[in-house]
Amino acid sequence: MSDTFDHSGLPEDELLAAEYALGVLASADRVAAEQRFARDRAFAQLVNEWEQRLAPWAAEIAEVSPSPEVWDRIASALPAQRQDRGLWRSLAFWRGFSFAAGALAAVCLAAVIYLGTLAPQQPLVATIEGGGHRHFVATVDTKRGTVAVVPAAFSADATRVPELWLIPPDGKPRPLGLLRADQAVTLTLPAEFAAFAKSDAVLAVSLEPPGGSTTGLPTGPVIATGKLTSL
Amino acid sequence: MDLDANRSLIAAALGRIPAGDRAALQTVYRLTSAKLFGVCLRILGERGDAEDVLQEVFVTVWRKAADFDASRASPMTWLIAIARNRSIDRLRASRQSRNMDSIDVAVEIADAAPGADSALEASQDYTRLHACLDGLTPRERTALRSAFFDGNTYEDLAARMKVPLGTVKSWIRRAMIKLKACLEQ
Repeated sequence: MSDTFDHSGLPEDELLAAEYALGVLASADRVAAEQRFARDRAFAQLVNEWEQRLAPWAAEIAEVSPSPEVWDRIASALPAQRQDRGLWRSLAFWRGFSFAAGALAAVCLAAVIYLGTLAPQQPLVATIEGGGHRHFVATVDTKRGTVAVVPAAFSADATRVPELWLIPPDGKPRPLGLLRADQAVTLTLPAEFAAFAKSDAVLAVSLEPPGGSTTGLPTGPVIATGKLTSL
Repeated sequence: MDLDANRSLIAAALGRIPAGDRAALQTVYRLTSAKLFGVCLRILGERGDAEDVLQEVFVTVWRKAADFDASRASPMTWLIAIARNRSIDRLRASRQSRNMDSIDVAVEIADAAPGADSALEASQDYTRLHACLDGLTPRERTALRSAFFDGNTYEDLAARMKVPLGTVKSWIRRAMIKLKACLEQ
């Protein structure tokens, strides 16, 4: 491109935008202008302004009906209906799904809570979380002396087993029993610990050797905890 | 057809496309395909090519409808720009413009009279543009017309008008400068 002409009045960018909008550039220059149009907002704006200036000229072009099958070709060239193609890979879908699942869980919890309020003695629940994951949900029924624990997103460890602990404000863990990754378990709440099962206590899960801790205290890492909440 | 009503219909239909509304694309097609096909056909000169490009145009509209901003551009301007760009891309791929007949400026002036049928023609924008084009010299106007309607490059224009490349480039650029100044008055 030569700059030997004095086009005082319009900057070079503006002239390039005009040439691109007019369509007068040959292949290489046109491709370069197109790439610039795609990444340079200011340049794209100049091009759009020129398109606006020139478009009314198309009034001089007679309308001509295309063959009827052109629409059919367009329709079949469109991507398949969105739910066929993108849904399972769509982040928006999974976000929505995740939200809906969360909402459903909340509704279930609310139902449990509501039903709980009807019972003469209120159970306690704890969502046992760690590392950003909800591992177990536990419900402590002090009247019956049971602790029901449902695995949520706990992945089994090949060599260790999850063990549940009740930790009252004194900070000393009391063993409640072994949990399972693949199914709900109902543990017996030992009578001597029943007094600790209150809304000021915490449930914790540690990873222990098969058979559980033999010391009466966690020997492996505590991977998740959850505060007991009165319903 | 009432131009403003038509414009609103097209803009509204374009607005529904990003949600995946195929019926909206079909509405845009129904309202604009004859005009856009005319644009493609004028540049490409052959129905088969023009229909291929028209198909590309509407697939592009489907993909890019979210880019259309009704508050900033008229829907026809946006659609015509896509149709012209796709047609010119096709033309460049085939290396040469269809219309390479030599241009005699003295004869070509007569062609400046509008021969159209569209409601667009009666629009204020067209009237204004036409008045400003009248302010150009005959050779500037002829070069600009051939670029716009035939998709000619600078090289094509130089060959058709039998002048050096730099000369025709200078005419086009000068014409653009004058045009902008006139339209902004």
